[in-house]
Amino acid sequence: MIASDKTLIRLNGLSKHYGRLTVLDGIDLEVKAGEVLAIIGPSGSGKSTLLRCINYLEPPDGGTITVDDIVIDAGNPIGRAALSGLRRRVGMVFQSFNLFPHMSVLRNISLPQERVLGRSRKEADARSMQLLSRVGLADKAEQFPIRCSGGQQQRIAIARALALDPEVMLFDEPTSALDPELGLEVLAVMRELAKSGMTMIVVTHEMGFAENVSDTVMIMADGNIVEKGPSKEIMRNPQHERTKRFLRAVHDR
Amino acid sequence: MNGLDLMPLFRGLLWTITLTGGAFLIGSVLAVPLLLARRSRVWLVRFVAMSVIQIVRGIPPILWLFIIFFGLGMGFLPVSPFGAALAGLGLIAAANMAEIYRGALSSIHFGQFEAANALDLGRWSTFRDVVAPQAFRVALPTAASYLIGLMKETAVASTIGVTELAFHGKQMSQLTFRGLEVYALVGLFYIALSLPVAWASRAADSRLRARVAR
Repeated sequence: MIASDKTLIRLNGLSKHYGRLTVLDGIDLEVKAGEVLAIIGPSGSGKSTLLRCINYLEPPDGGTITVDDIVIDAGNPIGRAALSGLRRRVGMVFQSFNLFPHMSVLRNISLPQERVLGRSRKEADARSMQLLSRVGLADKAEQFPIRCSGGQQQRIAIARALALDPEVMLFDEPTSALDPELGLEVLAVMRELAKSGMTMIVVTHEMGFAENVSDTVMIMADGNIVEKGPSKEIMRNPQHERTKRFLRAVHDR
Repeated sequence: MNGLDLMPLFRGLLWTITLTGGAFLIGSVLAVPLLLARRSRVWLVRFVAMSVIQIVRGIPPILWLFIIFFGLGMGFLPVSPFGAALAGLGLIAAANMAEIYRGALSSIHFGQFEAANALDLGRWSTFRDVVAPQAFRVALPTAASYLIGLMKETAVASTIGVTELAFHGKQMSQLTFRGLEVYALVGLFYIALSLPVAWASRAADSRLRARVAR
């Protein structure tokens, strides 16, 4: 259920090229506050690039990005303030977790709060412990990431991103590096997060998540949006031939 | 050692330590701007930094000391033997340390930079909190073994008259005609210097590894 009618993210004509290769071919997209959008599609379709353009990990070549009150015109060089504003509103979770291996779990979550939001160590640690409890890992606070399973590391990475109070969370194939069981514990955390009303954009190969947790599903191919709509409709009754072919391939596995 | 006055060797030891420490310090600090220049976005800056590193590393240390002491020193820029040795070895250490730093930096997974960017840590915090501590751990064993190499390299300073360990060893062997004993002793002094460095580096490394194993 989408709780709100407010559009939180708006992309207009977002494009990205690597040399002559067009990776994003003018993407228009709107995501409402509280909406959970799953992006699916074959490898090389541009779905990860789209996600990484939204928080400017990859600078797009053209188009505009609007997140909340931040508007960025990708044609022009981006200023430090706009970049900061964008990244503070957008949290990101990576396929490979990317926790800081030389810091304890607690420090991984607290340090960004101190550096970015200026919270005191005490405030930051309190918030970190609260989030660790939420993802079920309060007992791991003093451990180093290497001592945690992949699923635990990903839940810690989610807590780390949430600690900065983002408006929207981006997930770049968050379970692809995990075996199915460990993937489940991450998906459970994401499901809880979705229920709590967090706006989420999830690039995923988890068709169950796309169908049952997300509000909207979008299929991408060759840098374009093939089809987008309410998740159950798209997953059960796709209209477009490219979508049918992709879903058939997924189900046949 | 009956009859050998060891005091000159201890005085020489002090100069060897000073020269090694000084050159290593200069190198460790100078290597930072050198590395930054090597990673500059400007092609010309990158080219100059790379050339400096290649030239400095490509010429034997003894030749560098001759160039500075006999070349620049005679007339252009009068310099003491110790000053020339410190400048030459410091320069060589800078070029080598820049390469050690570069290797350590390139060992850091790009995901670390991406995570730091996505969290909006900013350049300074990304360097201080994320990159430097991890790079330090990687660079530590290489830097320590380079320090030991540099310590032995300081013996070339004896050729321009710096009164360090090798200089006094040569002098003492010529005075006493007991070359084998004298040079064996000098060798022991060098070993005694390298052991604590190797030991400290190994201890620090295993301490860090136990905490941060990847």
